[in-house]
Amino acid sequence: MLLSSLLLVPFLGTLALLLWPSSPSPQRLRLIAIAILSVQLLLSLVALGRFDVHQSGMQLVELQPWVPGIGLDYSLGIDGLSLPLVLINAALSLVAAVITRDIDKRPRIYFAMLLLISGAVNGAFLAQNLLLFFLFYELELIPLWLLISVWGGTNRTYAATKFLIFTAISGMLILGAFLGLALLTGSVDFSLTPVLSERLSMGGQLLLLGALLIGFGIKIPLVPLHNWLPDAHTQASTPVSVLLAGVLLKLGTYGLLRFGLGLFPEAWAKLAPALAIWAAISVLYGSLAAIAQTDMKRMVAYSSVGHMGYVLLAAAANTPVSLLGAVFQMVSHGLISALLFLLVGIVYRKTGTRDLEVLRGLLNPEKGLPFTGSLMIVGVMASAGLPGMAGFISEFLVFRGSITEFPVATLLSMVGSGLTAVYFLLLVNRAFFGRLAITPTTGDALVDTRLDVRLAPVAPRETIPAIALVAAVVVLGLLPSSLSRLSEVATTTMASASQLSSGLASGLASAVSAGGVG
Amino acid sequence: MSDALPLPLQFTWLIPVYGFSGMLLSLPWAMGWIKRNGPRPAAYLNLLVTLLAVIHGSLVIREVVQIGPQHLDFAWFQAADLDLRIGFDLSLTNLAALELVTTMSLVCQVFALGYLDKEWSLARFYALVGFFEGAMSGVVMSSNLFISYFLLEMLTLSTYLLVGFWYAQPLVVTAARDAFLTKRVGDVLLLMGVVALSAMAGSMEFNDLYAWAGEAREQQLISPLAGTLLGIALIAGPMGKCAQFPMHLWLDEAMEGPNPASILRNSVVVTCGAIVLLKLMPIVALSPSATTVLLAVGAISAIGGALVAIAQVDLKRAFSYSTTSYLGLVFIAIALQKPGIALLFLFAHGLARALQFMSVGSIIATTNCQDLTELGGLGSRMPATSLAFLVGGAGLVGLLPLGCFWCYGLMVNNLLSESPLFAAVFLLTNLLTAANVVRVFRSVFLGRVMPKTRRTPEVIWWMALPMVSLAVIVLLLPLIMQRIDPVPGIASFPLPVALAVAGSGAAGVLIGCLLPQDQFWSRSSQPGLRVVQDLLASDFYTPVIYRSTIVNLVAGMARATRWFDLNVVKGLVDGVGRLSLATAEGLKLSVSGQLQSYVLTLIVAIVLLLGALQWIRLGF
Repeated sequence: MLLSSLLLVPFLGTLALLLWPSSPSPQRLRLIAIAILSVQLLLSLVALGRFDVHQSGMQLVELQPWVPGIGLDYSLGIDGLSLPLVLINAALSLVAAVITRDIDKRPRIYFAMLLLISGAVNGAFLAQNLLLFFLFYELELIPLWLLISVWGGTNRTYAATKFLIFTAISGMLILGAFLGLALLTGSVDFSLTPVLSERLSMGGQLLLLGALLIGFGIKIPLVPLHNWLPDAHTQASTPVSVLLAGVLLKLGTYGLLRFGLGLFPEAWAKLAPALAIWAAISVLYGSLAAIAQTDMKRMVAYSSVGHMGYVLLAAAANTPVSLLGAVFQMVSHGLISALLFLLVGIVYRKTGTRDLEVLRGLLNPEKGLPFTGSLMIVGVMASAGLPGMAGFISEFLVFRGSITEFPVATLLSMVGSGLTAVYFLLLVNRAFFGRLAITPTTGDALVDTRLDVRLAPVAPRETIPAIALVAAVVVLGLLPSSLSRLSEVATTTMASASQLSSGLASGLASAVSAGGVG
Repeated sequence: MSDALPLPLQFTWLIPVYGFSGMLLSLPWAMGWIKRNGPRPAAYLNLLVTLLAVIHGSLVIREVVQIGPQHLDFAWFQAADLDLRIGFDLSLTNLAALELVTTMSLVCQVFALGYLDKEWSLARFYALVGFFEGAMSGVVMSSNLFISYFLLEMLTLSTYLLVGFWYAQPLVVTAARDAFLTKRVGDVLLLMGVVALSAMAGSMEFNDLYAWAGEAREQQLISPLAGTLLGIALIAGPMGKCAQFPMHLWLDEAMEGPNPASILRNSVVVTCGAIVLLKLMPIVALSPSATTVLLAVGAISAIGGALVAIAQVDLKRAFSYSTTSYLGLVFIAIALQKPGIALLFLFAHGLARALQFMSVGSIIATTNCQDLTELGGLGSRMPATSLAFLVGGAGLVGLLPLGCFWCYGLMVNNLLSESPLFAAVFLLTNLLTAANVVRVFRSVFLGRVMPKTRRTPEVIWWMALPMVSLAVIVLLLPLIMQRIDPVPGIASFPLPVALAVAGSGAAGVLIGCLLPQDQFWSRSSQPGLRVVQDLLASDFYTPVIYRSTIVNLVAGMARATRWFDLNVVKGLVDGVGRLSLATAEGLKLSVSGQLQSYVLTLIVAIVLLLGALQWIRLGF
């Protein structure tokens, strides 16, 4: 019942918030949401405590037939791949609720949607049935669309619609792949068992895997399917960006690993070289596009595009080390991008702009945002993969695991890692170094060096979520064993299982061709 | 690790931790959480932990002298076939380097108390220096490529923050950026090498890597091309750290940072980089081409750096280029497999260079000026500083029998037979360096008193004490070197070699004395000479070349990507959106309202769908 409670708590919380009889103040609603999400975090920690790290396969399994006719079971389980993501979902949902401070309209629906997303994401990570996964995958879509289109920035309708269309296509492709699986294999078995060539020809496998790749590629997002992300991020409010970058993108990479690699290991092995190239292109494209951005949020958004490419590279290489690296990269990208969006949010709230052409010298000790700036330096360094923080060990594992399989793609991705340093250094240098000024550079020295800027100080309690994220990033960077303990068995099993089956397939094929020749 | 080891040895891993803890201890003041009483307590706490590191280090040395070299090894991270460990080699060489790092850090921190006397963010400086020291003391002890890389990157970060210490000034902003990015390029290349080595060789311990390199050489495990690429990747990291051509730009710009950090950077940080290269050399040597590259880089840096230094009018930059030049010499020594002499050279250079930069710091602190054309006549007014300057200069130049003289002698003697060309590089560098030191000495300490040097009292004792103590150490250096390297002895070269070294030094001094000096005509009036002078003064136009090549390339690619993103990808998406809206509008008009047509459409659709499915099932 533990895993069900991870769904029930946020869903019942959503209902409770919506049906609350009186109309409580936004502050009280926020506290209720925080309380519910704290319970969810506690339950996730209980799941962590009950989790047996030595055991491969699903744990704490719950199975209940639901609509047997179409193969839909209520089947939950957790393993080393989903547990870290469930934890990070709980933590970042709580962060998102905590940093929602000045909500001006419809607070009740806002917090209800936040809880709904959190529950749906948990459901998607825990679901052990393809249709159940799809239900939760779609369930998360509508509240997020609402969060962007109601509480977003000035151009929110465009961004929200784009997000809706892209993600709806992604959902359709995934559903199509799942249903196609049933159709082509001729059985309504939607459990998570690898589909091997005895059951389905390679062409069919490639077709279904292709649909899944594009579907999840939209969600991750991979170039050129990324176009919805920068707009969604720039228009979404800070807490929504934190959730979007930290948690929701992970649905894509999780789906890629669980369903792409997990269901179609043979087809995956066939496509892997192309996927590695795709990953390298995605990394380089995201990094180069980020360099040219002047909006801080867009820059961080494009950096997400680049950094999620590493996960595809690791999944393509499919070695034990690289898959562990993929889990690390998902977790550390979740933490780091959440941190960066949070800090950009603070800058935006205090200065009213995110434009790198306008902001200068925010590190100023008395009138600027020195503490936010210091945290920002830590955040961008973590993202650039400086050792001692989570980004480094993740990238190291990904590269180390992939270089033997795809040397060129790995080296190109490493160039992308170098480019990360370029754009984030430009961000820090432009906005935080120099003399404090919040004016467009006019070329007139007198105007540009106006000294009357005085920003409202950031209250210590506003920085608590950021400090917690920084602490998590540093702890994960210094003691990576804390995470690898949870995931290593799962990722190693996954890599060897898929390699075994693809090896078998190629062995079979060669045997067949040998027989054909004979 | 056996329990039988003496306590100081078992806890050697604490030595880097002292530095890092100094940073944590300074944080309350650096972040402004404690505002009463000023930031001084942070400085005192840092001095205390650094003193602890020095004492602990000397205890370790005493034990190691008695029981021989030891190795410490801790597990850090294991996954599948990957085993990352933390390893420290407690050999006498490593420990000597460790003592150099911690002692220099201590001396610089005392010096900084005076130099940054009225600096409001003193605590931040000490926090960063603590971080710096921790990373460096880890690098020199590390027996493991992974940990070396880990800490080198931390050095990159702390260099960036130290150079950017006065972040409100425009020059500092670009200097910090260039320092970080230049080193980062080297680091990313090094990371490529580290990752490749880790995948190929398995273990990351240097000893295992040497064994693997031996096997690879015998059994031809890697192709020559792969070996060359690997070698160049491994060289790139130390090249960035040691400010070698063409990645030397940052050291010169880094002089915008506070002087006590410049002392550390020019003496011990570059030493750390060279020590990592020293440890990597057996692997680089797999590829003859990589070794050739290393030699070329070293030679170009040695002579190029020395030439550029002579043309500088900025006091600090005149010597920072000289650092590049000396590290070039060390690179040559390492590439020619003379690790012993390379280490002695690093040791002698580190101490003398630090002394030189301390005297420079004293001049800047007193006059608030670092423009050579505006300085003059300080000699009689600042006796301790001028003495320190002379001793530091003499320690660097091969003329008087101080530290570097013996290193030059050993090196030239070794090179004469196998590669006389590089012996000539050494002598030429010596000559140019001597000329540079004398030139700067003349314009700062001799000559007329200038407006900016009229009221120049000697520095306060916070600065004078470390400076004079270091001067004494530099004077005693030959004795120390004799003890470190008793066989074959530092004087194991014949008299003609000694005369050649001293002769090149003397010629340099002569040239330095004869160089024309005129504040108002510091740029030569003869056109031919002026072209050469401009070329050297602007560092062979390296910044311009960089801007027009790499920076432009990356910026251009970024702009192109952005254009593509906005016009092609976004345009396509928006176009599809508009198209679907338009077709919907069009379809609206074509609706007939007749039931039959709807049924027909439905049937056609179903037939098509089923047909497609059937085709798929048969087709595959």
